[in-house]
Amino acid sequence: MRGLTKEYVLQRFLMYLLTIWLGSTLIFVIPRLAPGDPVSEMVGRLSLDAGYIENADKLIASWKARFGLDAPIHVQYFRYWGNVFRLNFGYSLSHFPTEAWSMVSRALPWSLGLLTVATVLSFSIGVTVGSLMGWRRTPRWLQMILPSSLAFTAIPYFMFGIMLIYLVAFELDWLPATGAYSRRVDPGWNLPFIKNMLSHAILPVVSIVLTSMGGWALGMRGLMISVNNEDYFLLAQVKGLSPARIFFRYGVRNAILPALTALALGLGGLISGSILVEFIFAYPGTGYTLYQAIISQDYTVTQAIANLIILVTATSVFLLDLLYPFIDPRITYKRTMR
Amino acid sequence: MAVGQRTPDDASAPAQGWGLNTWDSPWLNFKFLLGAGIVLLILLFGLVGPFFWDTDLAYTGAGPLNKPPVWAEGGLPEHPLGTESNGRDMLAQLILATPSSLKVGFLAAIIGMGIGMALGSVAGYVGGWWDHVIRTLSDSAVTIPALVVLVVIASYVQMTDTTAMALILALFAWPGPTRLVRSQVLTLRERSYVRMAHLSGASALEIMFVEMLPNMLPWLAASLTGGISAAILGATGLEVLGLGPTRVPSLGLIINQATTNAALVRGLVWWWLPPIIILMVIFVGFFLMTIGLDEIANPRIRQFSSTRRERTAAGELPPVEPVEDGTAGEEEAALEVDDLHVHYFTPRGEVIAANGVNFSVRKGEILGLVGESGCGKTTVAMAILQVVQPPGRIVQGAVRIEERDLVSLSGRDLRRVRWRDLALVPQGAMNSLNPVTPIREQMADAILAHENIGRAELEQRILNLLNDVGLPERVIDMFPHELSGGMKQRVCIAMSIALNPQVIIADEPTSALDVVVQRVVAQTLLEVKERLGVSMVMIGHDMGLQAQLVDRIAVMYAGNLVEVAPVESAFAEPLHPYTQLLIESIPSIRERKPLNVTEGLTHDLRDPPPGCIFQFRCKHVERICRERRPELVERDDDHLVACWLYEPERHSLIELEEA
Repeated sequence: MRGLTKEYVLQRFLMYLLTIWLGSTLIFVIPRLAPGDPVSEMVGRLSLDAGYIENADKLIASWKARFGLDAPIHVQYFRYWGNVFRLNFGYSLSHFPTEAWSMVSRALPWSLGLLTVATVLSFSIGVTVGSLMGWRRTPRWLQMILPSSLAFTAIPYFMFGIMLIYLVAFELDWLPATGAYSRRVDPGWNLPFIKNMLSHAILPVVSIVLTSMGGWALGMRGLMISVNNEDYFLLAQVKGLSPARIFFRYGVRNAILPALTALALGLGGLISGSILVEFIFAYPGTGYTLYQAIISQDYTVTQAIANLIILVTATSVFLLDLLYPFIDPRITYKRTMR
Repeated sequence: MAVGQRTPDDASAPAQGWGLNTWDSPWLNFKFLLGAGIVLLILLFGLVGPFFWDTDLAYTGAGPLNKPPVWAEGGLPEHPLGTESNGRDMLAQLILATPSSLKVGFLAAIIGMGIGMALGSVAGYVGGWWDHVIRTLSDSAVTIPALVVLVVIASYVQMTDTTAMALILALFAWPGPTRLVRSQVLTLRERSYVRMAHLSGASALEIMFVEMLPNMLPWLAASLTGGISAAILGATGLEVLGLGPTRVPSLGLIINQATTNAALVRGLVWWWLPPIIILMVIFVGFFLMTIGLDEIANPRIRQFSSTRRERTAAGELPPVEPVEDGTAGEEEAALEVDDLHVHYFTPRGEVIAANGVNFSVRKGEILGLVGESGCGKTTVAMAILQVVQPPGRIVQGAVRIEERDLVSLSGRDLRRVRWRDLALVPQGAMNSLNPVTPIREQMADAILAHENIGRAELEQRILNLLNDVGLPERVIDMFPHELSGGMKQRVCIAMSIALNPQVIIADEPTSALDVVVQRVVAQTLLEVKERLGVSMVMIGHDMGLQAQLVDRIAVMYAGNLVEVAPVESAFAEPLHPYTQLLIESIPSIRERKPLNVTEGLTHDLRDPPPGCIFQFRCKHVERICRERRPELVERDDDHLVACWLYEPERHSLIELEEA
């Protein structure tokens, strides 16, 4: 098949492994660089709460053994990798009998659902607006209206979220402010629950879409303007093609390529960028779980989520790399030329 | 200086203006200045505030609890913006928090930029192994989601002050600038003035700072303002989550305290809203600066928005003045260009790129249109094809094929005529094919836009066309990047004859190719023409090539046709002094002669002199040449020239006028 050469796939795959290795190692190293260790700190907190704990040293030692923190650092490192591969991150420290991974997998669908919708909406609206803004043949009235859609671009999404909560949820009382669904409905595939779930998702989605689509639009506008000046764009006009065909096959088709790379990077953010939105809206996704884990110093859950995010981001970039030669036939050629 | 370099092709690419005078400087971009003003105002608020307001009021218990601002009911004049649930004065808190939030951003972005510039220039300039390592590192660092790692770091590392926070944020601020600087260095390294500096023995550092840095400045500045706002956003995010330094006041910390104290539900708007407003203003300021800088760095964006503005300001375009169809009456003409005027409306005046151009192409002939770079020959080609790019416009004239004036057509009518009657073999075949679609599709869409034919027939037709220009059949499924320059140009020729057009415009079809390939492409063009009997306008500056290819030649100088003649008599007996100059300048292998060329234009295209357009370079110039413009008149059999030299009555003409 055209496009995917063996060297290219291999090179991208090595890059993928390198990214995961770097990210996960960072997550392994950072806690161990910090003064003190989690177990002593936790026992210290316990003793603060209880006033005094008997045999604190023994407790610390036995817990350290249990979590494997007494082994030499390289042994810990190899064990850590074994656990990462098996998605086994141990028990949650704050919700003890629950496993860290099951806390994460419970939160995951909420984040994925919320952010997939938000990202797809903001990407498609933004790219459409930007393409039209960067095209000379766009009707003038549209050229006048389009920039107004950029109004919220400069505002960080979580601040916009706070204002939306205040206005729409508290002042107007139109939509629920926080959470993913109300306590009074039964979770399941029934109509009341789905309606309730959707009404909870509107505000977070709106705050993400309105603040992030402008970025896509501006980027796409610049790319479109560049394409407008290309020789092949001119030739397409001279060929007498319909404006729609020139716009899509010659304009957008070429201009969207760099935007797709940015989208793949953003897909990793499906899970991570949500921390603040989920915090503001108390939405029970991975971001909010990560926040709570950090506040309650639940190291195992923190590690599980951080690793998951790195894995997802790296995977989406890798998948895009594999898809890219089909979208842009030049790419493998260029890479192998170097 | 390098910045001032501009392409000599002034008429077809209107001045993009790296400022001839300061008031024209691209740095005077409205968005950039407005954004900078906003950021300065906010900074001033934080810096001057402590002199006017007692910042000690920012600490717990300094005043009564939960008082609204002074203008609301129950507000106190000693706490103009109210107090929150710990009795802290809001105004004092904001004055303290604003500069510390800005400081984090500036510090982190500047550190990141410093690292980025160092790594990026090493990667771009030294290359090799260094480049590989740095590129791999920065590529994978971009993939790591910053906020997550930040949150994880912040949960382990106790950040005592803003500097610690800035250092941690800087960990994520370097990959962007690194990639930017690397790619800029790579492009700039290939520019001729940088190579010149290198050859003349300048050191790497000198080249970096003297030749490259000034050219990168707008990009670096855009990256810096973007980086600052990203760093402020990161810091504020951590603070809102309560993971930033808790003892130093910051805007994010105020929001954190407000939300954790349920200020939203309790209606304490004056607690959570002011820090959000200040942050929003800061972000809007940096955002404006960034997009302003983008426009400064990228002249295309600037030109795009300015032409749009001009178009809007001018309102509806005035209709093009039509030309009476009287004089042209050549019966066997395939294409008539009648009194064509094209102007470029630049901020510094109207550039007259084509000034009353008149010629016709007879059926089955090749007309060569020649002249030096910037004389307007490509503009004429674009005007014939009705694709003059803004800010250029056809202001007068007609372009007729079979009695139909293309200038007056638009929309669907124009599309129908295009390619079916009038095709183009473009100048830059290198970039004239859509890079992301195979040849099959690009040839097919030209055919399908005008004819309704089935799949099999379409395929056969494309294969025949490729065959006609001597390309193998497998080219049909190849992508442009898989073809050589000469092959691409032949694909363009095949495409141009797909619909058997009346006229083909060949815009310097061989100029980007090496000499051997030039031959092949020129030969292909000739064969195609012989077989199809198509008429052609061949644009070029290579007189030697023209002499072998064309039937008649039209010489253009500074937007005006000066001579139109059959190729034999034009070379044997050139009449216009400019044509003589062009022919003299053809190098010959047999004899070495000094090149007798004064380079370039001698007058400003915005303000042509009265009289003959060539007067400043002409050695036969007389008084009448300075006062009256010569018309294009037939002086010999089919040999037209616009020159007073061949007007026997010229002396009496001017005396007659005086009398």
